[in-house]
Amino acid sequence: MADTNIPALVCESVTMRFGGLTAVNGLNLRVPQGALYGLIGPNGAGKTTVFNIVSGVLCPSSGAVKLFGADVAGLTPDRIAHRGIARTFQNIRLFRNLTVLDNVLVGLHLRREANLAEALLALPRHRSEEAQMAATAAQLLEEIGLQDVSHYRASALPYGQQRRLEIARALATKPAVLLLDEPAAGMNPAETEDLMRLITDIRDRFSLTILLIEHEMKVVMGICERMTVLDHGETIAEGTPEEIQRNERVIKAYLGGGAVARN
Amino acid sequence: MMAQQRVVHPALKIAAVCGALVLFFLLLSWGQEHWDAYTVRILNLCGIYIGITLGLNLCNGFTGQFSLGIAGFMAVGAYTTALLTMSPAIKQAVFFIEPLIYPLNSVQWGFLPSLLMAAVVSGIVGFLVGAPAIRFRGDYLAITTLGFAEIIRVVFTNIVPITNGALGLKGIPPHTNLVWSWGFALVCIAVMVRLMRTTYGRALKAIRDDEVAAEAMGVNLFFHKNLAFVVSAMMAGVGGGLLGNLITTIDPNMFRFPLTFTVLMMAVLGGLGSITGTVISAAAVTVAMEAFRVLEEPRVILGLAIPGVPGMRMVVFSVALMIVILFYPKGFMGDREFSLDRVKRFAAGVRRANTSKQG
Repeated sequence: MADTNIPALVCESVTMRFGGLTAVNGLNLRVPQGALYGLIGPNGAGKTTVFNIVSGVLCPSSGAVKLFGADVAGLTPDRIAHRGIARTFQNIRLFRNLTVLDNVLVGLHLRREANLAEALLALPRHRSEEAQMAATAAQLLEEIGLQDVSHYRASALPYGQQRRLEIARALATKPAVLLLDEPAAGMNPAETEDLMRLITDIRDRFSLTILLIEHEMKVVMGICERMTVLDHGETIAEGTPEEIQRNERVIKAYLGGGAVARN
Repeated sequence: MMAQQRVVHPALKIAAVCGALVLFFLLLSWGQEHWDAYTVRILNLCGIYIGITLGLNLCNGFTGQFSLGIAGFMAVGAYTTALLTMSPAIKQAVFFIEPLIYPLNSVQWGFLPSLLMAAVVSGIVGFLVGAPAIRFRGDYLAITTLGFAEIIRVVFTNIVPITNGALGLKGIPPHTNLVWSWGFALVCIAVMVRLMRTTYGRALKAIRDDEVAAEAMGVNLFFHKNLAFVVSAMMAGVGGGLLGNLITTIDPNMFRFPLTFTVLMMAVLGGLGSITGTVISAAAVTVAMEAFRVLEEPRVILGLAIPGVPGMRMVVFSVALMIVILFYPKGFMGDREFSLDRVKRFAAGVRRANTSKQG
């Protein structure tokens, strides 16, 4: 990551077809390092498909995904996590039966040094690593504000905290790029407010590049520096929040063909 | 108010554990000579089934990969151990249809190397079965592994120059005693307890809870699922080897699906995902299997003569299983563990409740 001119994440004419359905068509995306970038669009626009491609769940039909210049399209999700992309899920996918702390510890698993034999025999490298992991996880939970519930089962947390835990778990993998899939979904205004602060905060503290999918316009317009708008798999606009708010195609996609923008 | 924590020196702890182990094994080797053969047999089976059930629980419970191939791996282990421990003379007598093939017909190993070899061979077979099978999920994995276990059994019935076919092996030296079987149980317990305290154990549980999320967090599914599958197969293999050398005769029909079902029942009753639950339930079910034999004897109840019905105890077990699933859907222990801390906390809670009542 020495060269700051290389964009953190690039999608080059990425296309995803499911049989006859083209979910994403020729997407070009360029997320500079340290950016807080939004990906918006009406339901079914292909946003989550883009996330699934970038995080390795799907292999694109054509096109390239570049992380700091290296092509990662088609790698398995765990390899991509190793390369430094972490994500959260639109429908919360925590390890429900594990404690909050253990959820974060699983996120630290991929940076382990001690091998299986060392772990089973409790050799020094494993023991110091476990202690190190526990300390890192506790610190992460503190930074995200979950230190008081660290021994609860993940499924016992209220909804807003579960969303936060997903972010903490993703941060534990030490990512360079963080993908947030509708982090504010189902949150009340106060929780959304907190979340916006949290997102900008972790971007600075962990020097992350963040790609965000969001429906809540207040969130996207409030914290994203640039954004891309998708509709039916096509890119219909790209620019700063002000530009997007004035863009006629975007207004048309969101409000329907008959709507006319006033003022 | 916090209860005062008594600090125990770690060296003292280790010494206490070692002392307890030595006493335990001294008791077992004494019991081997002095307890009656029936008791010894049941205790042996307890130890063996604890180990095998823990292996099954690692794969099915902790990692959430519902495999039904355990009987197949037990067969692999049992045949490996039996063929390595039998003396060449007995082998020659047993293989009277077709002689045993060369390297096997002239070797005789000690019990420990034979068991280790059983672990290796069943581990390899476990990998060969597991590597393709674990790509499936849920029901599909169960059916695939069940199929593989049946394939192993059918193959064993037909490779007469190695397995003696349907006639099976007889005259296997009775090496298994209480020290071996409970040693095996303790090794399995130790491996499970250690594994679950490491980051690898957490990764396995993460796969159980949400495979997609685990993979997105960088958990290599192929490695971790295979790890669970292979270790599980190894435990089953060694358990099978001990079983063969306990009852001194094996044939392919021993390793049909009901054997897998028995082990699975032990794991489900104890709680998929609980080590202590597995230990308790494997021992309890093994004892109950024998205790319920009285149900199969002919008897007279209220002047009504009831003939002995073979298989009656399995009916009782089925009913018991249904009752447990109704009232304890996650088994007796769920995915919790019995620990002294839990008991202490419980005791502290009771004491608090008592003092508040008085106050």
